[in-house]
Amino acid sequence: MVINSITFWLFFAAMALPYFLCFNQKRSQNVWLLIASYVFYGWADWRILPLLVIVTAVYYGLGLAIAKNNHANPRRASSLTTLGVVSGVGILFYFKYFEFFVREMAGLFASFGLPDSIRTLHIVMPIGISFFTFKLMGYVIEVHRQTIRPTRDAVQFATFIAFFPTILSGPIDRAEAFLPQLDEVRHCRVSDVSEGLKRVLWGLFLKVCIADVIAPWTDAVFLNYQHHNATTLLVAAPLYLIQLYTDFCGFSEMAIGVARVLGLRVAENFQRPFMAKNVAEYWRRWHMSLTTWITDYVFMPLNIAWRNCGQWGLYAATLTNLVVIGVWHGANWTYFWFGVYHGLLLCIVTALDKRRKRFEKAHHLKNNEPYIWSRRLLTFFCFTLGSVLFRATSVTDFIGTLARLGHGFGPLYTEEFSSLVLCAFPAITLMFLREWAAEYGRNIHFMHARDVRLRMVSIVLLIVYIVYAGQLEGQSFIYFQF
Amino acid sequence: MERETIYNKLNEIFADVLDLDEVQLTDDTTADDIEEWDSLSHIQLVVAVEKAFGIKFTALEIMRWKNVGAMVDSILSK
Repeated sequence: MVINSITFWLFFAAMALPYFLCFNQKRSQNVWLLIASYVFYGWADWRILPLLVIVTAVYYGLGLAIAKNNHANPRRASSLTTLGVVSGVGILFYFKYFEFFVREMAGLFASFGLPDSIRTLHIVMPIGISFFTFKLMGYVIEVHRQTIRPTRDAVQFATFIAFFPTILSGPIDRAEAFLPQLDEVRHCRVSDVSEGLKRVLWGLFLKVCIADVIAPWTDAVFLNYQHHNATTLLVAAPLYLIQLYTDFCGFSEMAIGVARVLGLRVAENFQRPFMAKNVAEYWRRWHMSLTTWITDYVFMPLNIAWRNCGQWGLYAATLTNLVVIGVWHGANWTYFWFGVYHGLLLCIVTALDKRRKRFEKAHHLKNNEPYIWSRRLLTFFCFTLGSVLFRATSVTDFIGTLARLGHGFGPLYTEEFSSLVLCAFPAITLMFLREWAAEYGRNIHFMHARDVRLRMVSIVLLIVYIVYAGQLEGQSFIYFQF
Repeated sequence: MERETIYNKLNEIFADVLDLDEVQLTDDTTADDIEEWDSLSHIQLVVAVEKAFGIKFTALEIMRWKNVGAMVDSILSK
């Protein structure tokens, strides 16, 4: 039941109407939200539902136990937190990486001429596991750090973990921001419903008018890269980065919008990444709920532990941080090298940071637009190259794709390209225009115009564009596989 | 040591590490208030503070700070 399908919206209507009309107490609203979330998750994969319920119960208990021991027995509190983190990582490792690990080991044995008797395990990876395990681990860490108090309300906790708009693909919410919202009755407010539906509409626009229109063309290019020339590959690479952004940002906008209609605010996931002036800034604007999570729980502890190693400690923590972000996406060497590539880029940016600032000061470049745009283009190029590695099915495929660039230019592959030019390019232009205006604090009004007629015209035009130019077949999202 | 003395010293350290002309810290100042204060420069600040005051913070202590006021409390507790 994907969020851009009719089934989802029927489910949402059946869920939201009783939520506001029949339940006027926080407790009953939370129970209803939890039932709806479990139905939604069970619909996606009912076999994994018991695992979700069990881990939720275990971490609920862990949170209470850690809080009880924080002052009375700090050592036990630390041990319980470690248990929570190790269990979370263990669950992730088993479902996400174990089969890959076994396969790689079997390959290694075979290369030494040893018998390869290991069979494929066929472990079913629970959908959304990378998202809800991070919520669970983050919760126990924060309880241990005493930045939050554990909730005694089991329904509230389970609702936080299983909240249906975000369980499959994020944003990864923090207990500190989400749990207090479940402690109040949510009323059906016109402002929330209106803002929520606008975000859903914008997310749908990004998904069906850009990402899903680009996807068939980039798939045709990258899955058959051996048959394409440098011209086609050089067009496909930035288009794939735009596809990846609009697919995931589109989903995030819809998830945030659905939550907002229900009167709940969830974490933001993107902040105009294509406006970033360097790689570090890009990562602060891209998949923010994941990058802030890993920064808080992986990078900071490592950076603190290695703080007396000077710049090398910082570089080691940065590299580890980005490798974790890379392999979080799945068990494939491409994700590992994607992390290494970005980690090295980030180390270079860090090493040159002071020199760059001095250079900008000396030449009065801080607010120089051509200079700023050249930095943005360089950042976009770095991420485009990274996205080709991210898209590749194997490292060999990535090297093969790069090698094809050496085979010279030629005519552009134009099969299905007309729909890209007619449907996706105007939509991409609108998206960039909106992001550029927001970046410079210029209000282009659009769906938020003061004049109600202008607002309505913008909304109707967007709907018309979606209906006539969008791919309305309820395609799945790239990030569901993670 | 007086709280005010600590703040005077911290203002100098922050300006030096973050390469700023002047910094005016308060109890409520957080990383959101200073553009140059990010996760990368945070640890450089911690190291500079430890060095200047001749103290050592624990990892949990550093991670529990929510603003500059909490950092000053930690310095005073040493």
